[in-house]
Amino acid sequence: MRRTFGQSLSLYGGVLVIALAIGLPFWWVLTGSIKLPKEIIQRVPTMVPHSFTLQHFEKLLQASDFPIYLFNSMVVALFSTAFTVLLALPAAYAFFRMEFPGRNALYKTILLAYAFPGVVVLIPLYGLFAKVGLIDSPVALVIVNVAFALPFSIWMMRSFLATVPREIEEAAIVDGAPTTTILVRILMPLIAPGIASVAIFAFISSWTEFLFASVLIVSDVRRTIPVGFAGIIGQYQIDWGLLLAGATAAIIPVVALFALVGRWFVAGLTDGAVK
Amino acid sequence: MAGLSLQSVKKRFGETEVIGGVDLDVADGEFVVFVGPSGCGKSTLLRMIAGLERTSDGRILIGGRDVTDEDPAKRGIAMVFQTYALYPHMTVATNMGFPLEMTRRPKEEIDRKVAEAAKILHLEAYLGRKPRELSGGQRQRVAIGRAIVRQPGVFLFDEPLSNLDAELRVQMRIEIARLHQELGTTMIYVTHDQIEAMTLAGRIVVLRAGRIEQVGAPLELYEDPDNSFVAGFIGSPRMNFVPATVTAVEDGRAVVAAPEAGLTGMAVTTRGQPPKLGTSVSLGIRPEHFVPAKGAAGTLSGKISLVERLGGVTYGHVLLASGSMITVESREADRFEIGKTEIFGLQRAYLFGADGIRL
Amino acid sequence: MKNTTLAFAFVSPALLFLLAVLGWPLVQAAILSFQDVGVIGSEGHFIGLGNYATILGDAGFWRALGRSVVWVLSNALVQTLLALAAALILNQKFPGVRIARTWIILTWIVPTVVVVIIWRWLLSPSGGMINPLLIQAGVIERPVGFFATREGAMTTLIMINSWRWFPFTTLMMLAGLTRIPGDLYEAARIDGAGTFQRFKRITWPLLQPTLMVLGVVGTLLSFNVFDVIWLLTAGGPSGATQTLPVLIYETAFKGYRLSEAATISVLTSILLMGFAFLTTRAMTAAEADR
Repeated sequence: MRRTFGQSLSLYGGVLVIALAIGLPFWWVLTGSIKLPKEIIQRVPTMVPHSFTLQHFEKLLQASDFPIYLFNSMVVALFSTAFTVLLALPAAYAFFRMEFPGRNALYKTILLAYAFPGVVVLIPLYGLFAKVGLIDSPVALVIVNVAFALPFSIWMMRSFLATVPREIEEAAIVDGAPTTTILVRILMPLIAPGIASVAIFAFISSWTEFLFASVLIVSDVRRTIPVGFAGIIGQYQIDWGLLLAGATAAIIPVVALFALVGRWFVAGLTDGAVK
Repeated sequence: MAGLSLQSVKKRFGETEVIGGVDLDVADGEFVVFVGPSGCGKSTLLRMIAGLERTSDGRILIGGRDVTDEDPAKRGIAMVFQTYALYPHMTVATNMGFPLEMTRRPKEEIDRKVAEAAKILHLEAYLGRKPRELSGGQRQRVAIGRAIVRQPGVFLFDEPLSNLDAELRVQMRIEIARLHQELGTTMIYVTHDQIEAMTLAGRIVVLRAGRIEQVGAPLELYEDPDNSFVAGFIGSPRMNFVPATVTAVEDGRAVVAAPEAGLTGMAVTTRGQPPKLGTSVSLGIRPEHFVPAKGAAGTLSGKISLVERLGGVTYGHVLLASGSMITVESREADRFEIGKTEIFGLQRAYLFGADGIRL
Repeated sequence: MKNTTLAFAFVSPALLFLLAVLGWPLVQAAILSFQDVGVIGSEGHFIGLGNYATILGDAGFWRALGRSVVWVLSNALVQTLLALAAALILNQKFPGVRIARTWIILTWIVPTVVVVIIWRWLLSPSGGMINPLLIQAGVIERPVGFFATREGAMTTLIMINSWRWFPFTTLMMLAGLTRIPGDLYEAARIDGAGTFQRFKRITWPLLQPTLMVLGVVGTLLSFNVFDVIWLLTAGGPSGATQTLPVLIYETAFKGYRLSEAATISVLTSILLMGFAFLTTRAMTAAEADR
């Protein structure tokens, strides 16, 4: 169908507004991170950098603990992702296909947990972790991240499983494949994009988590990016160049991950919402 | 190779009974087709035989062994699904070898059996391909191949041709018939298409609302239906039914008439004693059983309201004075003239009681 | 049956995990709310409903609750409008639409702390981009501090949080939009319905189920937002942006009144669960009507 000129104008106008609203702030951060300090705080800001320097990144890598934060964040996020997928996949399959008493009630309860306020369990969890000596340990962060990513992951995984035609599973049953074989040999390869989506979701949840990381981690060398970074902001004299370089460095890993598998993630999010 | 026996098999979903006590014996090597309108329970019955649906009541025996509570894989059956249900991420060879792999057969045996099946089905050239690289007919053959390699006692087909276009459907129908001749294995085949049923079956099982209406060879059902449902379901276009009254009994035959429908005395041989005078009956006439009025046993008159010319045959849709429509078949393309009132002779007819049972 | 055993084997790791990390602490929070624990780790005594009396009688709690309600409603309004507009645009066909659909979620995948840095910088009176832009556009005369006034701080926070979350909402709405069959629009076109008519008579009614789900989930999610507020204003100026999560955090970790914080947590949970329960029931009823 052809659009009228007015329709085209409003469509592309809208696209432009969205692109600018989302992209421009990031553009300014990215370009700001390579501007000389005096250009950063210039009264009339520049759209395209007039100067170029890597001094902020040098400072970030050498003078701050940022590389350690980056490493910590990476470790916590990777472990959280692995455990989330490992727990979510069988649970999602059971909720999707298998029959057991209390199935629907349990599923609804788990979904409710998705929207559960983290701050509510923060206090007692702190007590529990203190008792078992997990305060200031990345293990505590992994546990918390998995718990908060799990409900949504199960939901998302389940909707991916629902895209596999029932008859394929039935064919495998007739062919003599046990349930675990069906899951591993048939379903897992078929919902690989779904597993990737869940993994991205878990990774991003962990990567951006602030509240628990700020309370459960005490020593500076164990901090993750969100908390460690917040510490840098709080310093007396704000060094914008350093912060922008740090922001750029914190954006790059998730953007790289997203560039690889983001399409699946978005598809998973939208397909999942349909069910 | 095995026979199959269903003994008062029932299936309930909650309160609703979808299969209400089915008894059926299938001999070893037989080709049996389950046919019926959608929702009659034919697919459910097949899935119960496969073990994909639990049987609520009754027993299922395959090769003399009670498999009612057995896992599908241990029943000695293989199934071909309507959507083929091929594993999309596996090659044709892996798809076909999968059931053998599940029973942990040695690799040489798997390769050999897959090769044999591929040869029977002319799939040798496609063994390395993924299902999405195949045409519909080829996918269907792979699905059949996956069933063959298991060397099952019974093949189950669940509407296997309904996703194919008309031309391929005819071709695959012939191929399945050939396969049955070659393998000689028992086959149970579900379809809603009565032409598939007539051409493939050794015996047809007509189902309605979860019960068997009639079991018999294709021509038996056509020539000698037990009730108006089977009579209407088998044969295309479907049989015409004209309400009538018994006006006389001559030589043990019932003479029926329906003046308001333009039907004059037609004598019909009944299965048992002819019904009493004045009994309301339903006269069934197949579209192909109309003849010229002159010298015919009975006649029916009406106005031609619509003509369908298919080339080989022509169908005239005739409006009776009673307001009902009947279909008349003719071999002559210009046999019917729209708007003309005509008298048609009846060659053969069936009588059904008010409850639909053949008289 | 052995299938049930297997099903439980599949479900129970996830289930037990959630029970231990979310369920049990919730019980602990409830127990804590009946005690008088101050600093974390100290012993407490049972004091009955004392904390509840304190909290419910505290004007600070009610003010925080009020701010949370304002926060949730404003976020819902702003995000729904932005997301609906964006979803309608992304539901069209144009070159690059797939890229746009993927990358619109960029604001949601970066750490909150990055969002905070971006906006603190852009909004800063010295060197930020927004002030000069607004001056050029003639909206303001001299640089303003966006977080300086009570209303300003709340409004700015709502805008920033909406900027972070509306892409997520957009994708959910897009899912609802793609579920509407294209035939309907073509049929409506043939029937002579214009763009606005098609939106009003087809899109809007058929999008209702999606909007209702988003309403519930979005409410719960935005209620829980803590880090953006904490990092940008820490609840200030003078408590103007102190929502319930911020109040809980401050009471526990700045005020060292752990039991009172637990009490607020319990009250919050009851509130949210009640909301979720009532809305999901209303939704099921609405679905049954259809």
